[in-house]
Amino acid sequence: MRDRRRCIDVRLRRGHRLAAALAVSGLLFGTAACGSGSGSARAGDPNTLEVWTRSDPESAQTYQRVFTAFTKKTGIKIDYQPVMNFDQQLQSRASTKDLPDVMINDTALMGSYQAQGLLKPIDPASIAGHGEITAKSWSSTVGRDGRHYGIPYSRQAMTLFVRKDWREKLGLPQPKTWQDTLALAKAFATRDPDGDGKKDTYGMVVPGSAQNGYIAWWGASWLWQGGVRIIEKDGTGYRPAMGSEAALRTVTWMKDNLFCGDNGVIQPSALTSVTANTTNFQDGNAGMYLTGPYNISTFDKALGKDTYEVLPAPAGPAGNDVLADGENIYFGARTGKAQQEQTLAAFLISPEGQTLAMTGDHQPVVRIPVNSTLDAAKVRGDARWSVVQKAYEDDSLQFPNAPDWAPMKQDTADSLNALFTYCGSDVKAGLKELNDTLAGDLKDQDLLK
Amino acid sequence: MTATVTTPGPRRARVISKKAVLPWLFLAPGLLLALVFKFLPMGKGVWLSFFDVRPFLGDRWVGFDNYTRVLTDHRFQDVVGHTLVLGIGMSLGGIAAGFLLALLLEGQARSLKIIRTAVFLPVVTATAVVGEMWRLMYYPTSDGLINSGLGLFGLGPVPYLDNPDTALWATTAMGIWMLAPYNMVIILAGLAGVDRSLYEAAAMDGVSLWQRLRHITLPAIRPALGIVLTLAAIRGLRVFTEVYVLTGGGPAGSTDVWMTRAYTLGFSRNDIGGASAASVLLLCVTLLLTVTVNYFRKRGDVR
Repeated sequence: MRDRRRCIDVRLRRGHRLAAALAVSGLLFGTAACGSGSGSARAGDPNTLEVWTRSDPESAQTYQRVFTAFTKKTGIKIDYQPVMNFDQQLQSRASTKDLPDVMINDTALMGSYQAQGLLKPIDPASIAGHGEITAKSWSSTVGRDGRHYGIPYSRQAMTLFVRKDWREKLGLPQPKTWQDTLALAKAFATRDPDGDGKKDTYGMVVPGSAQNGYIAWWGASWLWQGGVRIIEKDGTGYRPAMGSEAALRTVTWMKDNLFCGDNGVIQPSALTSVTANTTNFQDGNAGMYLTGPYNISTFDKALGKDTYEVLPAPAGPAGNDVLADGENIYFGARTGKAQQEQTLAAFLISPEGQTLAMTGDHQPVVRIPVNSTLDAAKVRGDARWSVVQKAYEDDSLQFPNAPDWAPMKQDTADSLNALFTYCGSDVKAGLKELNDTLAGDLKDQDLLK
Repeated sequence: MTATVTTPGPRRARVISKKAVLPWLFLAPGLLLALVFKFLPMGKGVWLSFFDVRPFLGDRWVGFDNYTRVLTDHRFQDVVGHTLVLGIGMSLGGIAAGFLLALLLEGQARSLKIIRTAVFLPVVTATAVVGEMWRLMYYPTSDGLINSGLGLFGLGPVPYLDNPDTALWATTAMGIWMLAPYNMVIILAGLAGVDRSLYEAAAMDGVSLWQRLRHITLPAIRPALGIVLTLAAIRGLRVFTEVYVLTGGGPAGSTDVWMTRAYTLGFSRNDIGGASAASVLLLCVTLLLTVTVNYFRKRGDVR
């Protein structure tokens, strides 16, 4: 198996540097040459499951801990592969029709995987302990045909991280509305909250690049709070919803106040930033960040636990819903190890499996447990997690999971990024164009109503 | 003569089998690797460009649909323009800068060797690292290296990567910085072959520096320039990592190029057929460009 991964890595490097025109197809299909049989000795063993997660080395150590406990308990071995560029490598494996047995990856990708036929349908009743997962979580794994294609594993919702020390120094209250947030951001940018006598701080951090759809991911919470939906369910299909009055109002507000407003409300270079290079909050030169709770351990290390606070997202005109996100357990199509896969899934969602994945010395891989018998704050002994759990349970909304969401997220991101880049742009015309594009995406999937 | 004519068959066959097979034997490992890692994937890419790719549901033949879709997509038309600006800008800029560096750093002195090594560093540095470094240098406030330099003259700060009007040029500048040293090495090799007596004769005739460059140096290094141009034609249009790391194609798609678009199609939109079609089109254009450059180079050589 390691050989195969090295093979893929080599392909990727070659792709960047050498393969002139066919890098993309080279990346995809070069692995065919590496052979689906390179890991076959273990892949053929019915008592070994090949498991992939989208993880960096830090969170991979937590997964490894969970899988070691699983093997000890059940005797089923795990051939574990943490994969950083998950989607590219999954497409490579899909092209060889040799998928991993079990995959753990984002919820919003389910529709995309199902559309490609990569997943095995799942009967919730076949998973021991399925009753401990809430209906809200289970509902997010229903595919277009009404069947389940994933098992909830971890959930999260965005919350607002604020530099508490800065806020208290400037004597300002915790932000409760968009206007409070804006006022606080301006104060952070202009009133020298770090006290070094220089104007070197920013109000808010935004990963606003269209690359991989980042700005649609970050901006979704603002859209929800403005009463906007990107697409809406309509009977058995969907219709695009970015041509609405609410969308016009919300996107115009974001453009005028965040991206084209006073200097310093958001960090410079926001519109070309992805999360990996949006480090101003942990670098200590930005005061707020609306993001997922997976950052808590990073921020604790970089800034210290007491310097910042985790708050519910401030409310917009239509409420304070935030983007909910998370990971599901997926079973790769056409593998003949249903029973072992179900045993693994049952362990992963059990109180024991979830607790192991939420604790330890490394980055936790379960944020909000899907097992309703657990309380994130109690398991971790950290009250901040109850803010996240409450945001997920009471005020959150996921991306639609049944359609192939990837093209729609990318189109929304492209459009928002362009509208926010050109401050003189016509928002109404831009949103109409986006709406038409979304209609085209839905039509491509035979989902347009 | 006649003896060789009477027994040509077996003898010639033996000669061919020994002499001709040996090089192929030596080449075999390389050819096999190229076949497996390059030509088969390439062929598969071409094949897939005619399908709606769904590995587990069965690929659907769509003929030239993917090509039509890619070619009529207005975003793709935009990226062709960006790719040309970036490819031509980087190639010509890289050649001009490489030539200048070669002229400045030609010679035998030990100090020059050290400087040449230092100047060559961008070539051996990973593109992703270079991209991150330039992101920091271009940082759009006075904290950024380039902007703090401008600040000394009372200028700036300039939002290089955040302004769609400047982002493409800023990316081109980074590309030139990366390409120039490689071109410099090839041109230096060409310069080493220039007959010194020509310079001496020119000096005695009292010709200007420009005339010396125009009539002695440039004609003498024409073969080296031919190689550099061919390489530029092959590499120019397939720029990817520089853009992906530096701007991700943004802001507002202003730096999106052919390869980043193909990548987005394939991996962000799961449109493998479209991505393959875009890649095949790029292959065709690159081939055409390379053949054209080679044709003109050879015609120039004959003349």
